[in-house]
Amino acid sequence: MDQLLLAYENGAVGLFIRESIWGYPIVLASHAVGMATVLGVAWMLCLRVLGFAKGISITSLDKLFIVGWAGFLLNLISGIVLFAGSASVYFYQWTFQLKLGAIILGGILLKFVMNEVRANGSKQKLLAALCAFCWLVGVVTGRLMAYVTA
Amino acid sequence: MNQEALAAWFESGIVHNWMVELYWMFPLMETFHFVGLCVLFGSLLVVDGRVLGIGKFINMNEAMKFIPLAIGAFAINLLSGFSFLTADPNAYLGNIGFQWKIGLIAVAGINALWFWFGEHKELCQLADGADAPFRAKVIALLSVILWVIIIVLGRLIPYTDF
Repeated sequence: MDQLLLAYENGAVGLFIRESIWGYPIVLASHAVGMATVLGVAWMLCLRVLGFAKGISITSLDKLFIVGWAGFLLNLISGIVLFAGSASVYFYQWTFQLKLGAIILGGILLKFVMNEVRANGSKQKLLAALCAFCWLVGVVTGRLMAYVTA
Repeated sequence: MNQEALAAWFESGIVHNWMVELYWMFPLMETFHFVGLCVLFGSLLVVDGRVLGIGKFINMNEAMKFIPLAIGAFAINLLSGFSFLTADPNAYLGNIGFQWKIGLIAVAGINALWFWFGEHKELCQLADGADAPFRAKVIALLSVILWVIIIVLGRLIPYTDF
């Protein structure tokens, strides 16, 4: 695993992100815009399911998901590029591991929330609260990656 | 007031001491700032997305409920942003990225006032699925573009200290 991480870190992407003057800031800024888009859409949907702005039909928010997916794609790409900056360190940081786990779980839960809404199930609010919490963990641990390097 | 006097004022308060002496204050405020920007941008996506026609069937009148949420998130970011300034005012006040960011927030504020006083009433009558007036779409598009640039500039502040 270490060899793989180091190979990626020392490859072209790693070199670009560490050595180009504007490469890192631009990719970092893209990651912030993508974050605002994904979290924005996910949280607003969860809020609606939790009972905020009830006059909006949940299915009418569907189209915003396309915007959310665009943000997710942006962050997947920018995240993979940023990861090359020090892949061998990030990989073993618990903040990074928790962030990745929270994002995957948050994404899966979002799907569960929508399924439950379509089925008019009774667990909509519970799932929405859990989903919103996962995304919160994702942002917080993402920010803490810069501080908690263990 | 010149930059030096302004910087001295920021450094004179108790918040400056907290930000400098408590090692967890800066990351904590940053976390609030990030959460706040997601809520702010998300609320705007609902309102602006409806006006732009991305989510045509979002009830416009109900979408307006996201505006107080956006204002609340902005307040969180104003306060957390203020705390960064008190920590090291000179790093921000003379920074071109920060100056543009603040300038564009003011423009976005004027744009929001234009939306509220110029379009809000008429938009509330909009039927689900109906197209918003062109003027309103211009404001909504401007709002999204401005906030994207504001987020980018905010993230660039550490790199625009020339």
